[in-house]
Amino acid sequence: MTTPSYQSSPADGDRFIRNDVVADAHNAARVRDEFATWLRASGDLDRVRFSDVVLAVNEALANTAEFAYLHAGAPGTIDLEAVRAGDTLTITIADQGRWRESTPATQSRSRGRGIPLMRALADDLTIDSSPLGTTVCLRFEQFHAARQDDADFALG
Amino acid sequence: MDEQGTATTAANTGCVINEEWFGRTAVISASGVVDMLTSPQLETSIAASLTKSPTAIIVDLSDVDFLASAGMGVLVAARDKASSDIGFGVVASGPATSRPLKLVGLADIVGLYATLEEARAALGE
Repeated sequence: MTTPSYQSSPADGDRFIRNDVVADAHNAARVRDEFATWLRASGDLDRVRFSDVVLAVNEALANTAEFAYLHAGAPGTIDLEAVRAGDTLTITIADQGRWRESTPATQSRSRGRGIPLMRALADDLTIDSSPLGTTVCLRFEQFHAARQDDADFALG
Repeated sequence: MDEQGTATTAANTGCVINEEWFGRTAVISASGVVDMLTSPQLETSIAASLTKSPTAIIVDLSDVDFLASAGMGVLVAARDKASSDIGFGVVASGPATSRPLKLVGLADIVGLYATLEEARAALGE
């Protein structure tokens, strides 16, 4: 896929794809915004779910923009693919860099909430890291519905 | 597509910060998006207000559409930076702001209020 245009494949559910996105903060925000537009167009989404999904995707993009290419000297790229199949939304964010490992010096109360946030927001989160890169996979089940286990947090 | 401007345009990625004082209470309001790109603006504004010797700082996120972890980090850092005799609170409600703050356990750390009126009542002015 070479053009950054809205894509859909009615035969196998809706898709949102962005490839070779340069991993910086501006592009992370732009892709997040485009993803949110696609998600909104996907149908009648619960307001809280919508917010959760966009935030989780943002955190994955932000981690890549901030950490993946820290030691490489130049920003690398991000590939994002979101697939809606039935009522399940699966989003994969991949980079070819290596996330900086957190050390006591980098840990502080004001940093490092991206991963805990993704874990709290998504129904399933996997992060696969290898020397070749990192892939984050977020899954949201029943993503049209309000979460049943979250009554305390439902309205924020 | 018939949608409101804030939903789909490129301008949706920006942030506007405002500073207002009620006596010695500084209220820093943000509107729009607070993420890794724009959170430095919020950080700068809070830092500037700290130099003016407030007795309390309230960060009002009522008009924020999107709050990323970068923005949350600014709130926690500001809370930690303000001395313990400066009151501190955050105004937020809704799925985009107060919900994620609660989900990662920050509501109690920063002091979360649903409205500016409640925050001002709790913090003095």
